[in-house]
Formats: sequence, C-alpha cells, structure tokens
Amino acid sequence: MVLSSMEVEAAPSKAKPLPPKPMFEPLKPYEMSDGQFRKVSVPQHRYNPLKKALLDIYTPIYEQMKIDIRMNLKARKVELKMRPDTPDISNLQKCADFVHAFMIGFDVLDAIALLHLDELYVESFEIKDVKTLRGDHLSRAIGRLSGKGGKTKFAIENATKTRIVIADTKIHILESFANIKIVRDSLCRLIMGSPVGKVYSKLRAVTARLA
Amino acid sequence: MADSKDAGEEALRRLIATFQPSFLAPNPALSETSRAASRHLFSALRPFCPKSPLDQLLIDGFDAEQIWQQIDLQSQPLLSSLRRQVKHFAKNPEEISKLKVVPLGKKVEKEQREDWVEESDGFDEELEDDEEGEGKGGEEGMDIEDEDEEQGRESDNEEESEGEDEEEKGEDGEAGDGGIEDKFLKIDELAKYLEKEEENFEKAEEDTRGKKGADDEENTEDDDDDDEEEEEEEEESDEDAEFGFGGEDAAGDMENARYEDFFGDKGKYSKKMKAQLHQESEGSDEEDDDMKFKKQNKGTASTHQKQLEKIHSKIEEMEKANLEPKTWTMQGEVTAAKRPKNSALEVDLDFEHNVRPAPVITEEVTASIEDMIKKRITEGNFNDVQKAPKLPSKVPREVKELDDNKSKKGLAEIYEQEYVEKEDPTSAPLSFRDEQKQQASVLFKKLGLKLDALAHFSFAPKPVIEDMSVQINVPALAMEEIAPVAVSDAAMLAPEEVFEGKGDIKEETELTKEERKRRRANKKRRFKAAAVKRMGKKVQEGALPNQMNG
Repeated sequence: MVLSSMEVEAAPSKAKPLPPKPMFEPLKPYEMSDGQFRKVSVPQHRYNPLKKALLDIYTPIYEQMKIDIRMNLKARKVELKMRPDTPDISNLQKCADFVHAFMIGFDVLDAIALLHLDELYVESFEIKDVKTLRGDHLSRAIGRLSGKGGKTKFAIENATKTRIVIADTKIHILESFANIKIVRDSLCRLIMGSPVGKVYSKLRAVTARLA
Repeated sequence: MADSKDAGEEALRRLIATFQPSFLAPNPALSETSRAASRHLFSALRPFCPKSPLDQLLIDGFDAEQIWQQIDLQSQPLLSSLRRQVKHFAKNPEEISKLKVVPLGKKVEKEQREDWVEESDGFDEELEDDEEGEGKGGEEGMDIEDEDEEQGRESDNEEESEGEDEEEKGEDGEAGDGGIEDKFLKIDELAKYLEKEEENFEKAEEDTRGKKGADDEENTEDDDDDDEEEEEEEEESDEDAEFGFGGEDAAGDMENARYEDFFGDKGKYSKKMKAQLHQESEGSDEEDDDMKFKKQNKGTASTHQKQLEKIHSKIEEMEKANLEPKTWTMQGEVTAAKRPKNSALEVDLDFEHNVRPAPVITEEVTASIEDMIKKRITEGNFNDVQKAPKLPSKVPREVKELDDNKSKKGLAEIYEQEYVEKEDPTSAPLSFRDEQKQQASVLFKKLGLKLDALAHFSFAPKPVIEDMSVQINVPALAMEEIAPVAVSDAAMLAPEEVFEGKGDIKEETELTKEERKRRRANKKRRFKAAAVKRMGKKVQEGALPNQMNG
C-alpha cells in the first residue's frame, strides 16, 4: 500500500458566508408580555361603586397608562391587557394594582396614587394575625380601630399620609415605605387594647419628627 | 323590897335556865318572867344613874317597845359614864387600888379631888355641856351610891370650867373658892399647868411675836395668874423686840415685889441671861439646847426670856440656812439634773410664751367662723392660689395637631403636593398656621404702634410704606392723627399742596392799575370764550332735532 498522497480534500470553499448577526431591537412590552392579561375579580359589594367610578378608573388607565381595560360581566372580572404602545412593562402591573386596590375598598382618588408613585403599596392583614379575639372582644377591637365616626382612623391617615380600609376583620393599608412601621404599630396597639390617647401621643411625636 | 328583889332574881334565874329556842315563839309566861327580870335589873342599876327620870321600870300595861325605851333612857348615860371611868382608870391604873366602895364619907373626897385635879382635857365633849349647865347648881339632885363619882364630877366641873374655858375664868370663883383657900399647894400646881399650856401655845405661834400670846395670856385668868400676866405684858411692850434688860428692869421696878417673889434676884437673873446669850451667840446648838434645858429645869423663865429664846432659835435657824446651799429655786439657772425629780411641778413657774396660746373653741368662735365661710361662699371669694405664670424661656415648639376629620384631598393629591413643594419651595401654600401667624403679626404691629405713640417722647413714627393715598385737606384734630403735642399739624396738607395756581399771587389791594386791568381783560376773554362755547352747543342741539324732524 502505498500511501497515497494525502490529498486533503479541500472543503468546498464554496460554503456560504454566515449571515450577519441579526440585530434585534429590544422587545416591546407588548411583545414581551405576549398576550399577558391581568384579571381582577370584582367582589359583590364593589360592583355598584365600580359602575359609578368606571370612567374614573378607565380614563387614567387607558389614557395615561395605555393599558387596555375591559369588564367581563359574565365572569365578573376586570381584565387588563397590554397595548402595543404601552410605554412600560410595569404599567400593566401598576394598573392591576390600582384596580385591585379599588376592589379592596380604597377610593379612586387614593388608589390613583398607586399609578403615580412607585413606592406605594398595599398591605393587608387580619386582626387574628395580631391577637386572637372572639365575639365581643373582636367587635370592640374593630370599634377601637375606627374610633367614633372613624376619627381614629382618620387621625392615623392624616398623620402618616396613608389610607386605611377596615373590612370586618381584614385591614388594608395603602402606604409608602417610610410609614410602614408607624401605621402598623399604631394599628396593632389599638387591636391589642391600648387606649386611644396613648396611640395619639405616639403619632404626634412621630409626625413631628417626620414633618 | 327584899321579896321583890328575890322575885326578880328568881325570874332572872328562870330566864337563864329556859331553853333558848323557846324565845322564838310568843309565850306569855316567858314574857312575864322577862319583864320581872328586867324590872329587877332596872332597880338594881337605878342608884348608879342619878339623872334618870324613872325610879322604877313600869311594866304593867306597857308595850315591849315602851319598856325598851325606858331601859334605854336609863342605860345611855350610864354607859357613857362607865366608859369615862374606864378610860380614866386605863390612864391611871394605880387609882384602881384606891377605889373604895364606901357610902357617903368625906374621907375619900380629898384623894379623889387630887386625882381629878390633875386630869388633862381629854373628856367627852358631850359631857361637858351637860355638866357645865348643871354643874354648879345641880349637885343637890344627885343620888349617888358611889361617892367617888360625885366628887369626881364636882371637881370635874371645877377643873373644866377653870382649865378649858379661858373666857369664863373671871367669874368662876364659886366652886373653887374653898379649895384655893385651903390648899395653896394646889394652886401652885395649877399655875404650873397653866404655864405649860401657855408655853405650848406660844411655841405654836412663834411667828406672831407674842402679841397673840399676850392676848391669850390676857384671857387666861386666875386671880394669881393675872398679876403674872400683866407683868409679862408690860415687859413685852417695853422691850419692843430687843433683848432689853433695861426694859426688863424698868418693868421690874414697876412691880418689884412680884418679880422678886417669882424670879428671885434680878442681878442673878440678868447674869444668867447674859451667860445664856453668850453661849447662844457662839452658835452651838447643843449648848443652846443645854441652856434651854437648864432654863426649863429652873422653871422660872420670864416672857422676855422666852422671847429671847425664840429670837435666838430663829437666828440659829437663819444662820444655819445661810451656811447651807440654797434651795434650787433660788439658785439661778438650774438644769433638770440639779433639782429633785418632779420638783418643777410643785413650783409656780413663770415664763414667757413664745407662741400664742391655742384658741379656746367656744360656740361663738365656731359660729363666727361659719359665718365667715358662708359669706365667702356667697361672694365667691375663695382666695384660690393662682399659679404664677412661668415666663417662657424658649420658643415653644410647634405642636402639630392631629386632624380627626377625613382628609379632603385624596392621597394622590397629597403626594402631588409634596412633590411640588419639594421642587419649588416657594409655591408651598400657606399652611393653616402661617395664616394665623400673619394675622397675628399684623395685629401686633398695629398695637405696637399705638403703644409707642402713648409713650410720647420715645415716639417712633410709623415706618413709611410708600403707597399712594389721597390726602384730604382736613385739620389734624379731625383726623385724630396721633402725633406728639409738640408737633401740631394744623392741616394735613402743606401750603404749597393747598395752593392751586401758579406764580406769585397778589391780593386785590396789592395790584397796580395795569395789573388790575389785565385781570379784568383776562376774565372777560374767558367769559366770552365760554359764552361762545355755550352758544355752539345750543346750536348743535337745535340742529339735531331739526334733523330728526327732517
């Protein structure tokens, strides 16, 4: 055997040059979301208020946030969808939060702040998380929290620039990061039975510091 | 009598013999026997009680009570006399032997008398009265078995009337007359006894310097004693609290005989006295005592002597007291340790009270207090303590009030506002507090201005705030411009401000002829021009309606 001359068969040099690296544009939110929806269910007690305040809700979402919004009557849900011209991907979430806040019980004007500010969020907890109360004690605790004509609640709200919704045994707070501790502290103290005057004095001290 | 006596004794014996318990039941026979027995006893005792009105116990038809009373009537005086006698015998036991039960005989009289004379005053007071009343005249009615008693009682009367009643002494000569004459010795003893009494009396009344003693001595009268007493009185009056031997002598001269009779030689006497005094002045108690004892033993101490003794004894006492340390009350500052326990309680201490004594609460006091309280309540004047206002040392921090009401702005708006404030601080709207502050500052400025104006000479004028305002030419007072009195603004406007016109103004009288003419000419010209204008207007107005019509 004779070694034949190695003849390297040259690769077909006729291979095509690689195509240029594709330059992709960043994905649009709409594309990113890829048909994402947000669906917020509407509880029965918020049905009527929703009907009343629909335009107030619709306008900022559709106009400012550029999110598609529709009400699914059969399923009793508010549906949100991204539009092609939605500027930011987080808008959808914000809108969903906004609608959710409304459904919880917050006023539109208050909930709108969610759209405007990043740092606001809604916190919810139950009374039984703080202290196990039954029957009359529970009722009394709820009464303590709201105060006569809601004045205790308003006092806390005004002092800390937050909004509070007390729904039976559930408590929802719309607040910013700075005020988490204060509000939660005051509410917990009230649940646990501290007299209102004491809570007030603490609030006063805190707000003086903050202001 | 003998029969009755026997019967009585028989009855007695029978009584004694009866069975004791039989007395408990009423028994007529027994009562008869007892009556008889008691009658017997009564008769037996009758001789011993002279004063008894009953000679015999009356038992026929008499009640037991009545019989008892009769017996009692006899027995009471009898018992007391028996008691007296027993006492006497207890004191002088030797007399019992002398006692002789003899029917009325004079032999025993003397002895009894002697005994009785020396008795002291220790008799029953009760008996005295009886005896004195009876004493002198009542001897006849005595029916005594025992001679002693009668005699004794007689002498008793004498004795007591003489010895005890010092006032009655003068009269009493009757009973004792015969005795005095017969027995001189007795008088002596009597005198001695009287002197002893006097001494006792004087010693008891040492302080009253014998005057009272003199009085007493005056009262103690017996004929013999009187002389002595008079003498003593004279002596005292002469001496005048001195050891005046001269006085003594003078007195002695007055009644020489008596003095010598009693005290012997004066010379001796004075010597004795001197000796005694010397010894006294030396100050030895023992010697004094001895001397006193000697004096007493001698038994012839005059009143003066006694006085001297008294004085000497006093002197001794005082000297002794002076030598000894004083009582604590006289010692100046005394602590509790230096005086006996509880001694301050017995002494009336006088000290200053630094505190007002506690008020005594009476009804009036409480009523007055209550009235005051009611008045105050109606007035409302409670004198409440008002807290003194504390001056603020530092600016009070702004207290942010909690707002209870529902916030009118939504949360979004609040944050919006915050953001805006952050961006542009000036655009921050006045907070509630700021508005108030501004109002307050404006008010205060006004007030400040007024206050400044009131303090005239430190007047600070209103800061000029350049603003256009129309000034009315009104006199200052009308405007009530508060300016200092020194500055008087008659009118608000300055003359040049008031002036309208130009140039130099002349009065009518100042004008020259030409100027006057010129003025008139100007006036005419103006008037004419005005007239033309008016005419033009009228024509115009006239024309229009023509046009309108046309």
